Amino acid sequence: MNLPHPILEARGLTKRYGDGCPTCFDHTGAAHGRNRCPDCGTVWACRDVDLTIHPQEVLGVVGESGSGKSTVLKMLHYDLEADGGDMRVRAEGVEDSNLFDLTSFRKRQLRNAVMGIVYQHPHLGLRMNVSSGGNIAERLLMAGWRNVGDMRNRASELLERTEVPVERMDEAPRNFSGGMQQRVQIAKALSNRPALLLLDEVTTGLDVSVQARVLDLIRRLQEELHVATLVVSHDLGVIRMLTTRCMVMKNGQVVESGLTDQILEDPQHAYTQLLVSSALV
Amino acid sequence: MKLAEWTERQTGETRRAVYSFAFIDEGAKREIRRKTLKAVAIPGYQVPFGSREMPVARGWGTGGIQLTLSLIGPDDILKIIDQGSDDSVNAVNIRKFVRSVTDVETTTETAAATLIQTRHRIPEEPMRDGQILVFQVPIPEPLRDVEPSEAETRRMHAEADYSRMWLHLYEDIVKYKEITIGSRYPLMVNDRHLMDPSPIPRWDCPKLHQSETLYLFGAGREKRIYAIPPWTEVEPLGFEDHPFRVENFEGKTCRFCGADNAFLDEMKDEETGETVYSCSDTAYCLKVLNEKGADS
Repeated sequence: MNLPHPILEARGLTKRYGDGCPTCFDHTGAAHGRNRCPDCGTVWACRDVDLTIHPQEVLGVVGESGSGKSTVLKMLHYDLEADGGDMRVRAEGVEDSNLFDLTSFRKRQLRNAVMGIVYQHPHLGLRMNVSSGGNIAERLLMAGWRNVGDMRNRASELLERTEVPVERMDEAPRNFSGGMQQRVQIAKALSNRPALLLLDEVTTGLDVSVQARVLDLIRRLQEELHVATLVVSHDLGVIRMLTTRCMVMKNGQVVESGLTDQILEDPQHAYTQLLVSSALV
Repeated sequence: MKLAEWTERQTGETRRAVYSFAFIDEGAKREIRRKTLKAVAIPGYQVPFGSREMPVARGWGTGGIQLTLSLIGPDDILKIIDQGSDDSVNAVNIRKFVRSVTDVETTTETAAATLIQTRHRIPEEPMRDGQILVFQVPIPEPLRDVEPSEAETRRMHAEADYSRMWLHLYEDIVKYKEITIGSRYPLMVNDRHLMDPSPIPRWDCPKLHQSETLYLFGAGREKRIYAIPPWTEVEPLGFEDHPFRVENFEGKTCRFCGADNAFLDEMKDEETGETVYSCSDTAYCLKVLNEKGADS
């Protein structure tokens, strides 16, 4: 198969808390079942992770709590500073160099121009005291929009798409239910047509019926917009529903990766087997 | 009086051994001048300075006073304004103080002054090259209302990240159909720094744009100096469909001088109870009156 160039290519993503020591790698990682070095106390939140996402593709990252999957996503979004690694994004106006080396000014510009993120907790992605329309407008303002009417049109269009009642556009998300807040967050993430969408445990914390609706929404938006997406979740159901390809992480390392169906039907690594057999459904 | 003459006098009868010319010591003056030069070099950027103790409490114009004292020379002609008035307590006391430590000539006429210190107004009469207008600033940080953390506002200035202020304006329009900021209207200076013009009314903001005069801003309590040098681009924030606009005094005139093109104060007539207007800039009002008197 002749794949197009990946839209996101990250190599050797590393994040550690502590100074590290020469024997760190002899004691940590999936093979040792821990990510904290017993000699020096350094925690390797994520170590040498490679990932690529192709245009229109949805890549999943699955793993238990503390496996480093959210760390990976946060480094890609510049929420956490990477201690090592190389990130490249192929999109209009993006330089062809390691995007971790940019100035903080440029990083912020880039993040606003090419990425959209939806966090597990809506209060991380939204300003709870600012109207929902304002939340969406903030990203447009960052991108240089200076016409209130245009921004309101764009915001109502997005809220309609994400099934938030448009008449509540001038209300703060503080007044909304969890599911609705999550949908506003999705609308905000999509506001300036990102090349890359990052979803961090989007349905965790919602009750199952709302989960199903949010997942439906994401799937539908995926079909309509074809935006390349990274889905981080501990929930195999979410991974199965949204992604075509996925990676399994444990103790900061990738232990298995491949087509989602294949991994879920025929897990190779002992940890993946455990994960699949522990799933409730 | 030349500085040399003045120094000469110090050895004579009027000796004032305890204070140097213009009250603050020469080292401090140099520091303030240095910071002022930096502020002029980076229009709109807030330069920290070592705000000295003044004989008035911080928050009563000490930033402006320190700028004035570090700039003033024996040949300067000084004017002090408080909310447009030369005669209010703050203006009178600062004028007396500066005169007592410098012996400079003072005036109420805008055109005659070389150095003007002001609180919350810019004179109506256009200022020209060679004059300096010093503002007293209570809150130098334009982003303070949208972001309480100083570390964060500094980052925002460094990265020219002003989306929070724009969002604030957007929310205003959503709630009230217009931008409701009356004074301290945020201005973009030289296309780079967002700046707080001190609590001048919106009416005065356009005067800062491409002006002949040097504008200096001093915040004594917050220890910041910033500047708008002559011929600088100064643009009030506004949206394409909700542009910046100044106060509307259509159909209203000053009850003393009849001016219809000046910033007016609104008040109730004590006897009749009706609403009346008068010029906020009293020196301007007087000038118009005098000219009228000369005509008739």
